[in-house]
This record gives sequence, C-alpha cells and structure tokens, in this order.
Amino acid sequence: MKLIEALEILKKPVPEDARALRIALACGFTPLHLETFLAAHLRSLFPDRAIDIRTGLFGDLQGNLERLDPAGLDALAVVLEWPDLDLRLGVRNLGGWRIADLPDILDTAAGRTARLERSLKSLSGTLPVAISLPTLPLPPLFFTRSGQASTHELRLRSALGASAVSLSSEPGVRILNAQLLDRVSPPSDRYDLRSDIATGFPYRNSHASRVAGLMAGMILDPVPKKGLITDLDDTLWSGILGEVGVEALAWSLDRQAHLNGLYQQFLASLASAGVLIGVASKNDPGLVEQAFARRDLLLCKGDVFPFEVHWDRKSGSVRRILETWNIGPDAAVFVDDSPMEVAEVQAAFPGLCGIVFPKNDPAAFWSMLEDLRDLFGKKSVSAEDSLRLQSIRGASELRALEAGSSGSLDDFLRTAEARVRFIFGTRRVDPRALELINKTNQFNLNGVKFGDAAWRGLLEDPEAFLLVVDYEDKFGPLGKIAVIAGRRTGPALSVEAWAMSCRAFSRRIEHQCLKYLFAKTAADEIALDFRETPRNGPFRSFLLQWAEAPLSGGVRIPKEVFAARVPALFHAVEEDVLE
Amino acid sequence: MSDLDSRLAKCFSAVFPALDPGEIREASHETVPGWDSLAALRLVAVVEEEFGAQIDLAELTDMVSFASIRDYLQRKVEAR
Repeated sequence: MKLIEALEILKKPVPEDARALRIALACGFTPLHLETFLAAHLRSLFPDRAIDIRTGLFGDLQGNLERLDPAGLDALAVVLEWPDLDLRLGVRNLGGWRIADLPDILDTAAGRTARLERSLKSLSGTLPVAISLPTLPLPPLFFTRSGQASTHELRLRSALGASAVSLSSEPGVRILNAQLLDRVSPPSDRYDLRSDIATGFPYRNSHASRVAGLMAGMILDPVPKKGLITDLDDTLWSGILGEVGVEALAWSLDRQAHLNGLYQQFLASLASAGVLIGVASKNDPGLVEQAFARRDLLLCKGDVFPFEVHWDRKSGSVRRILETWNIGPDAAVFVDDSPMEVAEVQAAFPGLCGIVFPKNDPAAFWSMLEDLRDLFGKKSVSAEDSLRLQSIRGASELRALEAGSSGSLDDFLRTAEARVRFIFGTRRVDPRALELINKTNQFNLNGVKFGDAAWRGLLEDPEAFLLVVDYEDKFGPLGKIAVIAGRRTGPALSVEAWAMSCRAFSRRIEHQCLKYLFAKTAADEIALDFRETPRNGPFRSFLLQWAEAPLSGGVRIPKEVFAARVPALFHAVEEDVLE
Repeated sequence: MSDLDSRLAKCFSAVFPALDPGEIREASHETVPGWDSLAALRLVAVVEEEFGAQIDLAELTDMVSFASIRDYLQRKVEAR
C-alpha cells in the first residue's frame, strides 16, 4: 500500500453508527506514516468500524506503556526498535560506540528489555497486545566485520529472544512472525537513514506499510476455520486406489510422493490442534478401510471423522459432513486434486473455501500449506480443541442411538451418565468464555460480539454475573461448552449473553442452566435480551418453550413458568464458585 | 492543468482532504488549516512516492506552497 492509497482509504466516510476500534500504538520513534498505514490497514480489515489510533510521546516507549490507561482500548500495538533498548543502538544519539561502551550497552538493553517485558505482561492481562520485535538492522557499532556476528550482537538478540519467548506464552500477547515479515519486506529495503535523522521516522514507506498490515491482521483474531474435507486419491496419497491397490499407494520420498506425505503430516498436525478432518472420496469403501489400516499412514484413521466414501457427488458428501460437524460451509475448507470436483462443491456451497491440491507443483504446494495454516491458525490450543472430535463422534453416536431407540428421550438421557459442572463468578475469567460468545452462532442469545474492552466492562459491573458450563457424559467430555453473562436487576436476572456450543445440543443442558441460575441467585424472573439473527434458530426454538412468539424485544421467564414447564433433568450437578 | 500539476494536486487532495479542489493551486501553509510540520512531512512523503523523486531535505523549509513544490519538481524534471 502506498501512502497516498492509505490516505485515500482514510478519507472514505465512516458509517454513522460505526463502533469505534480504539488502538494504542506504542513505539519509541515518531509514529508518522506507521500510524497512517496502521489506520488504513485496520480500516480495510474492519470497514464498519471507526478507527481511532492513539499514540504517545516520541522517544519514550517505556513511559508510554507505563502511562497507558487500558480503559476503553480494544488493543495495544507495540512496535519495538533497537534504540528502545538503548539509545546507542540507534543513530540519533551520539552516546559512543567504543569497545568500552559495549558491555554497558548490553546491560542497559537487558534492563530495559526486562522492564518492557513486565509492562507488556501486565497490560496483556487487560487487553490484547500485538508486538513487532526490532525489524531494522543494528548499526555497525560492533568491532567484527559485517559478515561475522559479534558475541555482543548475539547476546543482545538472545536476551531479546528469551524475553519474546516468555511474552509469547501470555494469553493476550501476539508476536509478529519475523519469518513472514522477512518474506514480505526484505531486510535490505526497510531502513531510511535520511528520514531517521531528519524526522525521527526510520522506516521506508513500503516497510511501514508491511509492518502495519501484519500488525493490523494480528490485533483482532479472525475466526479460524473449523474443518477440512479432503479427497484421497492423488491428494492424501499418490495413486488411484481402485487401480493400483492398497500397497501401491505412496506418500514417501523414495516413491516420488513426498508432497502427499507432507500433506498427511500437516493434516495430522491440524487434527491435533482440534481441526476437524473429514474425507470425501469417490472410492470403494472397503479398499479405503484397508488403506487406512496401513501402519505407515501419517494421518491416523482416528483423526478423521466422518468418511464419505462412495461414488455419489462430492457436494452431497460435503453436505453430510458439514451436518455431522454441525458447522456452516464458511467454516470449512475442501481440498481435492480435481478442479472439476472443487468447482462442483463450490457451486453447491459458495461460502466454502475450495483448494485444488497442487500435486505436481512444489511451490504451489508450499503456498497451500501456508494458506491452510493461516485459515486454521489460532493463538493457542485449548483443552476443548482436543476434545472436539471426540465429542462430535459422541454426538453422532448419540443421534444414531436416539434415532434407533424405541424408548423416549427421557429414557435415553437417564442412562447418559451426564455430569454438568457450573463455574460461577466474575473472577479469574476463563478466556474460553469470550471465545464461546464470539464464535457460537446457533445457540446464541442475540449474536452480539464482545471486544475485550466491552467484555471487561460488563464483568467489572458489581451486579454482573458469569456462568461457564463444563459437561461430560458416557460418550466423552465436551469441556466448557456454554457461557451465560448478565446482571442482577433487583429481583430479576438480566441475561445479555448466552452461547452454547452446537456439540452440546439435545442434552437439556440449557434447561439445567436456567434451573441453576434460578436456584443460585434466588431470582424471581430471568429476562433474556433475545434478538433474532440469521442463524440463531436453535435459541429461538428453546425460548418458545417458555414464551409465545413474537420474541423480538426480549423474553422474560418467571420462575413459576419455568418450574411448571421444565422437562426432566438427569444430570449430576457440580459447582465451582469463583469469589 | 499540466500532468505535473494534476499529479501534485492529487497529493494535496490526499494530505488535505478538506481542501476544495478549486483552491489547491493557491494552497500554502498560511492558507490551509492543518498544514503543520506533521502534514508537511506527510506531503513530502506522498510527493516523493508519486514522483519517484527524493526531495532534498535542505529545501524542505522552502516548500511551503503548491507553487513552490511545483517549481521544485519542475526544476528536478528539467535537470534529468
């Protein structure tokens, strides 16, 4: 993006009802064009938000961080450069580069690094923090030739690297990937000495734009895709199973099929991070069963569910897989070596991301892996991620049992050995709670998404309550699958957010939640701020058990109405109160 | 309007969005609200990008109007 393009983007009018997106930009140099580019990239990513960038004092990064008031901010972007660790690591100060100065430079840098780390850790507890580590070359202050890294330089980089490792493990911290920045902004094309000396802005415009673009993409996490549906022949493995047979399928170097092996390894990696992997293949089911029994396959059969193996259209397979996963097409990716199959599936599901497996093009294959990592990437892997496939299998078995059972749902649930654990309180809030609210669409009270600041604002209200629900039954644990938040308003409870994972449907967990809230808070009535969205039909159906349509404007459930209509509940209930 | 003038006007329009297009050719730091040191640096950067030229920092203090920047660019073009 050129500077003039950034300014043109920022000239466009903001919608009148646009919510503000308030970002603090902290850097030791004058933010100048970096601020402009950051605002423009954010505006491009979030066209319905009013971008508000706040900067601090020139030359005082540490002070700016220590003075920063996180209230009202949505995120903090920190752009570090070497002079932030010691002014002598820049060119605007003439503090000395004698050999005798070097140990002191290192000591100062170590001290400032530690202080920055403390400040950033503290701030990351209250708002998301995106950090760009130094991107510019160190000046030639060390005594070695430029081709040889000096011990001093290595110590400096090592100390900063150790600090970055420690910071990256904080839930609220995201650190810009230097490898990606190297690719998009070549190191030799970053520094502008003339501008640094004349204005205090050390970046070339192209570099400022690229740093800003990557930082903008990191500030608010995009919702990752949830599932990948893959073809088998000439995709997961090399060879057409029906023609060459199980033993001739290949995915190794010695059989010129290494890309397929890498793909399997990659899918196994995604599966271990909670990504759902399904198979849609026009094939003989018996042969596929035999192929997945091969012990050298890098993607285990247990990592895949469900298998759609037959000779029917792929779009039908994809539809059934999405139904089993209970996700929309926009949350899934379809990979197949046949452009025709990809086109057929995408015609049926325009929102689905279709990728043609580049079987004979290593460079395109590499790009595909990077694209897939971007589509499925997440800040961290939670316990719920590792339970997801297990719980979907359980739900599928549950539905099959329900469908085949001659008894009632009550009979079925009575024997499910269900256990619900309620975690009540607004202290030590699990990040999973906000994730559920913002990522769940179907059983969602009103579709309102919360930024970190708004979420904090709600929970800091003395009248606020928060209920997180953990569930398991004999089909396996589901983990934390529901969250309810709101405020006490006199004798009533006002629920402002309620979301439950679709994996937890058909277990009457939502009924048990209401029962618990009535008992826990002694409320006479629970008022639900329901708003219909294109996808929250399941929540609407739940509400119709207690109220008549139309439901717009909210629903109130008096305690006696709930008591009269609640169906039989069979869960064992446990409680953790966070006070 | 010459090509140079229209490209320079585009730069002014980007940096000073409130400036009426009819007033751009008469614009100077004395008549344009918001033409402060920060805006001047932004304008120079946009002009450098647009014209692929590096502006001599010693001349920055003289670049206080549309006319003075146009004259500077004209001299650069003629010197090539």
